[in-house]
Amino acid sequence: MTEQLPPDRHPRQQRDAHLHVQDIESQTSVQGGYEAMLGGLSFDDSRGRRLGVTFWCAIGWMGLVLVAAVAAPWLPLADPDQTGFGGRLDPPSGDAWFGTDGNGRDVFSRTVWGARISLVVGFVAIVMGMAFGGTLGILAGYFRGTVDRLASFLMFALLAFPGLVLALLFIASLGPSLTVVSLTLGILAIAPVGRLARAATLLYAEREFVQAARVLGAGHGRIIVRELLPNVLVPMSGLALLGMAITVVAEGGLAFLGLSVADGFSWGKLIVMGAAPRTLRDGPWVAMFPIGAMFLTVLALNYAGDRLRWYLDVRELAFER
Amino acid sequence: MLRFVARRFASLLAVLLAVTALAFGAMNVLGDPLFNVVGFIASVDCDAVEAGLVEDVSGQTAGGRGDCEVIAEARREHHLDRALPVRYGYWLSDIVRGDFGTSFKNELPVSDVLRDKLPKSLLLMGVAQAIAVGVAVPWAVAAAYRAHRSFDRASTVGSFGLLAVPNFALGVILFYLFVVRWQVFDSRYDDTDLASRLRSMVLPGLTLGLPAAAVYQRLLRTDLLTTMQEDFVHMARAKGMSDRWIMFRHVLRPSLFSMVTVFGLSTAGMIGGSLVAEQIFTIPGIGRALVEAVIRDDFPIVLGGVVVVATGFVVVNFVVDLLYSLIDPRVRADD
Repeated sequence: MTEQLPPDRHPRQQRDAHLHVQDIESQTSVQGGYEAMLGGLSFDDSRGRRLGVTFWCAIGWMGLVLVAAVAAPWLPLADPDQTGFGGRLDPPSGDAWFGTDGNGRDVFSRTVWGARISLVVGFVAIVMGMAFGGTLGILAGYFRGTVDRLASFLMFALLAFPGLVLALLFIASLGPSLTVVSLTLGILAIAPVGRLARAATLLYAEREFVQAARVLGAGHGRIIVRELLPNVLVPMSGLALLGMAITVVAEGGLAFLGLSVADGFSWGKLIVMGAAPRTLRDGPWVAMFPIGAMFLTVLALNYAGDRLRWYLDVRELAFER
Repeated sequence: MLRFVARRFASLLAVLLAVTALAFGAMNVLGDPLFNVVGFIASVDCDAVEAGLVEDVSGQTAGGRGDCEVIAEARREHHLDRALPVRYGYWLSDIVRGDFGTSFKNELPVSDVLRDKLPKSLLLMGVAQAIAVGVAVPWAVAAAYRAHRSFDRASTVGSFGLLAVPNFALGVILFYLFVVRWQVFDSRYDDTDLASRLRSMVLPGLTLGLPAAAVYQRLLRTDLLTTMQEDFVHMARAKGMSDRWIMFRHVLRPSLFSMVTVFGLSTAGMIGGSLVAEQIFTIPGIGRALVEAVIRDDFPIVLGGVVVVATGFVVVNFVVDLLYSLIDPRVRADD
């Protein structure tokens, strides 16, 4: 309360004056689990446009996880399936950094290996969401009319389904293979990505550079690929990171329903296995270290995605219907 | 207003049609429709039986009805020789009348099973939302009251962190702390009376409610800050009212708008989360019934459960839409 104040401002609010409008806009646009999850997490942007140290820390962590996951077979790790690496439920020590599980397997090694399936699922799903949702959204936003109505209703119907229930339905019918799990979660990503792509396309479709291309005789295909796509991809990059976070979590949720990838193990499955009451009582580290890895990764993806979205200033795109 | 409601209702029906068609279509295109109604005996090769190559041994002990007769009857009853859209029509008219078929497991009507499970899931949602609102409102008021001070900053970081904890991870952590470590709660669901039921709902309620509380807190805080700049607040302050009175009596109510909007969305989100929470805390609700049915390939239950859950989701969104238009008439105008 010691600050010098202009007479017409209450002390607590003056620094918020520029902030709340954006906060509200990014809020009123929320629809469905995807955006609801990011609710209200805008940041004070009075200090100019920089991504900030924390952003690069988040990117660094993601890079570390990615490299560890890709290079797991060549890293000097214990075999993740080797039972009797240590004793049964050994606490963390110099040999087994994260302890050992009920079968004496090295939890650290399993956490690193578990990242492989988690990341593959997240990556495939979001790429699929971008490919199908992006195409659908751009076509809807560019051609308008009947195409738009059909595409919008499809996205509306997809969003009308609780995501996990839709996934349950597909996976129960097709069996829990890596492909089915990834593609199912990819289907869930189509609608949110499509909505953003459509909104962004609407915004750019009438801009001068598009009209110029049209006057110069460019066909629909060329306009879409050369003029619209690069612009639409920019706001989608932030959403891609957020979508990956949501997919990694969704895979964990499926693991708890017994529907995650049947062969091999992901972070989600490691957590489920560690969450059995007995294991939890005698060796909480079996569940807690994979939880920690997933938490940090989701935190990094959320933060980086949110920050990127803010940096690229696409709030008005997400807001536009 | 009436026209608005009518239009929204029409779109609700359209979405319900699309959702049920999607569920029915997925089950019948991706799976084997015969299997979906008769279960494992669908694999009996009836052509071979008729040709006399294989003997139909199933009917020789009880009732004398062979598998092939059951299959033939199921084909007739469920119109399996007809095209998919026709079958969807028959199926839809059945479920509208409350007939979801019978469970493979114990031959109970699916509707009875769902009626038994649904209240538990609804209670869980209620507890979770009560916790979310109960935590979020005081939290947001405290944060907004001293905006940008240490408590507010800490709670921003806290809510961001809370949102990055997957709901199942939160469930496992709570289970570890309160059930395994400190043994405050029992690990089994206790169904004796309402008090014990509520007690069993505390931890799963927290699992679903805390992330929702983080979302509400962010929204409400922002809206509170906006309202605090209004003239009537300065007026109240000038009249010498206490800060507490101003915050709760003047500022809070007009700031609840965004929170109400997201309330519906988060209820929808909780439906997915409750499937997982019911697993961790062994609550015999719809979610657990669904998962058990999936493991057992009990397709009538799976389909019925999915339809009920999806319908609930759609209806919640519909109600939120209506509430939204009641609070803010502009929504009606530009629709």
